[in-house]
Amino acid sequence: MTAGRPAVVWGMVAGHAAAAGRRVSVADACAVAVGCAQVTGAWVTVSGGGRPDFAVCATDPAGERLAELQLTLGEGPCHDVLASAAPVLAADLGDEDSGRRWPGFAASAGRLGAGAVFAFPLSVGAIRAGVMGLYRGSPGPLPGTQLGDALILADAATLLLVAGLRHDGDGATAAADGLLNGQSPDLALHRAEIDQATGMLTMQLGTGIAEAFARLRAYAYVNDRRLADVASDLVGRRLRLDRDPGGNDAP
Amino acid sequence: MDADLLSDTFVALADTMVDDFDVIDFLHMLTDRSARLLSVSAAGVVLADPRGQLQVAAASSDAAGLIELFQVQNDQGPCLECFRTGQPVTAADLARPGQRWPRFAAAAARAGFRTVEALPMRLREQVIGALNLFGAGTKPLGPAELRIGQALADVATIGLLQERNVRRAETLAEQLQAALNSRVVIEQAKGKLAERTGLDMDQAFTLLRQHARDTNERLTDVARYVIDSPTADFPPQPRG
Repeated sequence: MTAGRPAVVWGMVAGHAAAAGRRVSVADACAVAVGCAQVTGAWVTVSGGGRPDFAVCATDPAGERLAELQLTLGEGPCHDVLASAAPVLAADLGDEDSGRRWPGFAASAGRLGAGAVFAFPLSVGAIRAGVMGLYRGSPGPLPGTQLGDALILADAATLLLVAGLRHDGDGATAAADGLLNGQSPDLALHRAEIDQATGMLTMQLGTGIAEAFARLRAYAYVNDRRLADVASDLVGRRLRLDRDPGGNDAP
Repeated sequence: MDADLLSDTFVALADTMVDDFDVIDFLHMLTDRSARLLSVSAAGVVLADPRGQLQVAAASSDAAGLIELFQVQNDQGPCLECFRTGQPVTAADLARPGQRWPRFAAAAARAGFRTVEALPMRLREQVIGALNLFGAGTKPLGPAELRIGQALADVATIGLLQERNVRRAETLAEQLQAALNSRVVIEQAKGKLAERTGLDMDQAFTLLRQHARDTNERLTDVARYVIDSPTADFPPQPRG
């Protein structure tokens, strides 16, 4: 168990964007996933907002087709992820289990050159931003360390998608810049208080849960405070963020 | 140990496993019962996450000191040792100087605990998690209590795997991530409910659990409903 691995992986994502001379995005998380998980290709589809899901990036044409195929058929590992909020790891699309679960998709995926597909929910609890899919030409499971990296990259993709929800843009670009500058992302992502504070903010700010999370992170970044500390203050009722017509979160 | 409490505990756990099963609800009940049965101040179930961190799945208390202590356990302490060795590990008399895990001991002292034990949750060769027990006294568990504690850790493992037949390694990974995600949903709902009602997190949680029992819904489903509903429309008063 390497506790420092998330920081290393996030650094690779930031580095990938820096090398291309642009702001970090989910495309960078996908690109890094191919190397870390040792797969052939990766994609991200976004969901929510009342419109049909769609692919926002794919590392190769086959990946893009695998993403769209599942959306069109309404079937496949990525489709199942939306229902279960858990990863769906289809190590062998040619086996009986896959044929039974996804009769249409399994056959077509084989023709597209995919032996295995691994789907990860891009979610933080009730915040459901989309799905990340990885495919490999050859069948076989995802070993532990590669699975760990894929989960870390799914987290990164989730945060990037959620940061993009802030309409005023400042918090979003600031939070994304935090990754780009190599600033260590808050690794205590799932401390209970952060999740509780997110829930509290939906009432204080009058927003949905995804926006509440984006604004919590933006507040911490803009005020140069650890996310866990801001969450602790909110839960301890030493801090509250109220709706502010100016668009800034007034404490 | 109270024999009635012992049998009562296992009957209650078995009952929960056959009803509308919610893994976080189950694990929370297990930590609660474990603390009472083994006469410790708090208990928690921690799961190994492939990301490389220990993730709390359920804890009998929301005290800030305990949350902090779980965090420190990522770096050092009996829980980490338990993961690595697959053996029960005891950290006793944590207020004494010359500690093996100094930062852990300091965090435990701040939280009011002087003894911490970690019992492995094992599935065949793999250690998937640990049952942590936090005591205010200096006396560690005796052999009989350790056996009961290990049995409770084993029941936690069984509960975690309840929903699916584990035939392949990757199914376990899917199951663990589902449990961890459920916990996040429940914590988010606690926060929203606490803010709406002015209750603290423990009270908000009790409200969620009561509503789940009253309506025969799964705890995670009730939590999701609370988050999705714009006004967190909910009975404001606990019943009874």
